[in-house]
Amino acid sequence: MTQRAAVATEGATAARLPDGAGRQRRGAKQNLIGWSFALPFLVLFAVFVAGPILASLGMSFTDMRIADIRNPFAVDIVGFENYAALFQDERFLRAAANTAYFVVVAMPLTMAAGLAIALGLNQAIVKFRTVFRVGFYLPVVASVVAISVVWRLILNEETGLINGILGVFGIDGPGWLTTPELAMPSIIAMTVWRNLGYQMVIFLAGLQAIPLMLYEAADIDGANRWAKFRYVTLPLLRPTLLFSAVITLIGYLQFFEEPFVMTEGGPLDATLSVSMYVINQFGFGNYGYAASISYVLFLAIAVLTFIVFRFLRPQD
Amino acid sequence: MMSTWRRALMPLAVVIVLVAACGRSDDGDGEAGETATTQAAAVEEGPATGTISVWAMGTEGDNLGVLGDAFKADNPDATVEATAVPWDAAHDRISTALAGQETPDSSLIGTTWMGEFASTGGLDPTPENIDPSAFFEGAWNTGVVDGVSYGIPWYVETRLLYYRTDLAEQAGFDAPPANWEELKQLAQGMAEQGGAEHAISLQPGGTGAWQTFMPFVWQAGGDILDESGNFTLDSEATTAALDYYRSYFDEGLSPESLEVGALEQGFADGTIGMFISGPWMMGIVTDAGAEEGTWDVALLPEGEASRTSFVGGGDMAVFTDAANRETAWKFVEFVSRPETQLLWYETVSDLPSVEAAWDDPALADDERLARFGEQLQDAKSPPAIATWEQIADVIDTQLEQAILGGVTSADAVAAMQQEATTIGTGQ
Amino acid sequence: MTKLAAPRLNTESSVQPPPAPSARSRGIWLHVVLVVGLLVMVVPFVWMVLGSFKTTAELRQLPPTWIPENPTPENYRELFTRLDFPRYFFNSTVVAVAITLGNIVIGSMTGYALAKLDFWGKRALFLLVLGTLLVPGVVLFLPQFVLVSNLGLVNTHLGLIITTFAAPLGVFLMRQFMLSIPDDLIQAARVDGAGEYRIFWNVVMPLCGPALATLGILTFLGAWNAFLWPLVVATTEELYTLPVALALFAIGQQETNFGLLMAGSLVVMLPVLIIFVLLQRYFTAGIAMTGIK
Repeated sequence: MTQRAAVATEGATAARLPDGAGRQRRGAKQNLIGWSFALPFLVLFAVFVAGPILASLGMSFTDMRIADIRNPFAVDIVGFENYAALFQDERFLRAAANTAYFVVVAMPLTMAAGLAIALGLNQAIVKFRTVFRVGFYLPVVASVVAISVVWRLILNEETGLINGILGVFGIDGPGWLTTPELAMPSIIAMTVWRNLGYQMVIFLAGLQAIPLMLYEAADIDGANRWAKFRYVTLPLLRPTLLFSAVITLIGYLQFFEEPFVMTEGGPLDATLSVSMYVINQFGFGNYGYAASISYVLFLAIAVLTFIVFRFLRPQD
Repeated sequence: MMSTWRRALMPLAVVIVLVAACGRSDDGDGEAGETATTQAAAVEEGPATGTISVWAMGTEGDNLGVLGDAFKADNPDATVEATAVPWDAAHDRISTALAGQETPDSSLIGTTWMGEFASTGGLDPTPENIDPSAFFEGAWNTGVVDGVSYGIPWYVETRLLYYRTDLAEQAGFDAPPANWEELKQLAQGMAEQGGAEHAISLQPGGTGAWQTFMPFVWQAGGDILDESGNFTLDSEATTAALDYYRSYFDEGLSPESLEVGALEQGFADGTIGMFISGPWMMGIVTDAGAEEGTWDVALLPEGEASRTSFVGGGDMAVFTDAANRETAWKFVEFVSRPETQLLWYETVSDLPSVEAAWDDPALADDERLARFGEQLQDAKSPPAIATWEQIADVIDTQLEQAILGGVTSADAVAAMQQEATTIGTGQ
Repeated sequence: MTKLAAPRLNTESSVQPPPAPSARSRGIWLHVVLVVGLLVMVVPFVWMVLGSFKTTAELRQLPPTWIPENPTPENYRELFTRLDFPRYFFNSTVVAVAITLGNIVIGSMTGYALAKLDFWGKRALFLLVLGTLLVPGVVLFLPQFVLVSNLGLVNTHLGLIITTFAAPLGVFLMRQFMLSIPDDLIQAARVDGAGEYRIFWNVVMPLCGPALATLGILTFLGAWNAFLWPLVVATTEELYTLPVALALFAIGQQETNFGLLMAGSLVVMLPVLIIFVLLQRYFTAGIAMTGIK
């Protein structure tokens, strides 16, 4: 990089030459300017992010455990052994299946709920828009520990709010967090509740960028509300949907906070997620193994994000 | 400066590990066994000097200053700098501190974390001038890793049977159940004659369930490791204990799930007849409205072999990287004196780990507390091995599989044994 | 606060036009649905507020009560007396503000380079930023701590700040936003003879208000609620942040002080909520222009 910088200074004065000969030298100046803008980030990134990423990636090929923590070089290299072991590890496979279940159900639900509220709030007749916006955004701002305290009480089998309401209709509500089949749906409900405010903001932004005249033109054509949504709103919302889908996907594939504070992954591992399994293994001091799970997760996130990009990107 | 930067590159260098030839040195540690505890040479006599930093969690950390002041009264040239650490994630805090060699001089360490942290070489062996026989044996053993002591029990807790005396009377019991058979009869009686919705509340699995379950294994004569350090989780005793434990669920005597707060409330209302827990529950059930004269605590009922309970609490250790090792150990020794232990009991109600402290009227005259003292004579901790937290998770998980997942006891203990053997003891 | 300079995207103008009078009943129904939705979102917080005025005994009571039987400010009193509140508030503020500023400045600079400048290695740099966004954070925790401790930054404000001072998310958001700024504008400034740094500060940055609000809120929220990193880096109480201090006093080895936890969580939440209310118009507009690329 320093070498490049030296070359760049040399060419600095010739930067605005319009002819072909100057192109090479203009490139050099632009390199200098470009990198000078990126430099502060690059330095901090290289030291505090790239370094630790490489270290943890290296760690995933060793048998590093807590006993090695004061002397990390005295570990054995085990190659892909951690990665191979993962696919024999029933709990990991269970966690992977749970994570897939969670993403497949919670992602469309959160996006749909966020979109529905944004559509509602985007109607001109709606009053007190700020109150609604802040209200729906409230859960995003709160810490998950505080939220968990309240939600555990709401979902309580004997005395919770939900079973109380069901009781009015003569239904004996189940243990939402203690029945293996219901624990994950309950966690999903809580996650949707917690994240739909953020999605709402994204969709509101997207809706507001749609030019009004398109709706006016549709009105002239006599389109009904559904037709307007289907043929005007949805196509023009495509970039927003992509953004929302990618953000949600990356976040949800790494989900752990909700089960961490609500169920600790139980009952019977029904809510154990991959990220939570990483945290557990990390806590057990199996650093090499924990790192290898993280990079498998990273790979899954990268591949799935790529697929979503392909699938949803604007068609030119 | 130079060395700072060289050390700064250390995490990066882990990558180099991939290319460079290296590996752990195999110094062939001795097998874990029932050998006498080894201790380090005594620290010098005389008053302590200098400043030491000490970490302690939650309430203990918040009130540690009381002990620091008392220590300073004896040693005017010494200062204890106490830092309170949240219990939540305290484990991560200590492991990262060890990794970065940023430990304080001394810290409170959860009794079940000792094996793990000692395996890093980051804990200093206990010097000889601290006498093991002053402590409850089960408590002292929490700090003994591979025959070497790495700290002292600072305070203890053990588990007793909490039971509703009024329901017991209706079931025809004037005295607490003495053995497994009587416990079962009492549970059945409480459900039938006493009308308790749940005769007893045992943990069906989930984090920490092993603390309720393992005493039954010990009572049946089983254990986690044998003398040569091999797992014995698939022993007949473990199977028998699991059969007995799960029978409470199969017969509908214990709930398969209980919401937070429902235990103390149910016990106070008489809808839950019994449960097994530690001393902190005495205050909680009273707060929940349990009236005096309707409940009591009792020693755990005897199984085939014993009436062993679980002993936990907190240990105090000194780190290898301590800046002021001498003073740190002098402070630890000071903490282990009976009068300091009593001061600590008066400050935060932590039970003394030193037997002599229990002769004081503050403890001896309280009937319920005295029973905890009695149970401490026969209370055990899990082996202090590096992988304990992981083994505990295996036990919790398989216990849950047996009780909620319908797996047979034989299969569950076989899975415990198999998984534990795969994990190993971290040797 | 609504008198702040209008964001680039006027939130009211693009809203669908007022409906015909026949749609009046539809409007009522819409409000009913939205209010029900709002209740679902807000009720847990109402419960939390009410709970923060209850005694420990009442909080443990089954069935739980809605309205405090004996309302008491005890939890708040405890929060402000047992905790060295000003100190923890100060630490949290310093750390969160520094991280937010760092991400705004560095994220904008790098984002500008990626969006509007042409230089060797640009594509690789962008892919690097994107790739890092996908790495699960847990795995970096231990190497980062060893690094920070070897730099002698444990138990310093700088140590609390440095690892998230220049996060890839900021670079990504700012790049996306700056792509929407017309090249002509920058070209015109170049023709006028302005240097690249002046163009960045005087031409581009003033247009980035909404994006900066978005990035600012997201970064501040993350830094303000962070728990694990401040917990391990702040080794003495002088450097604890609010969430760490709250966990210290509210969550014990065997029991949790729910009242204190709720009161504390509400107080910790308040500054972020105020910031959101103040900046929410910009926030939406910012997302509009970062997300639609």
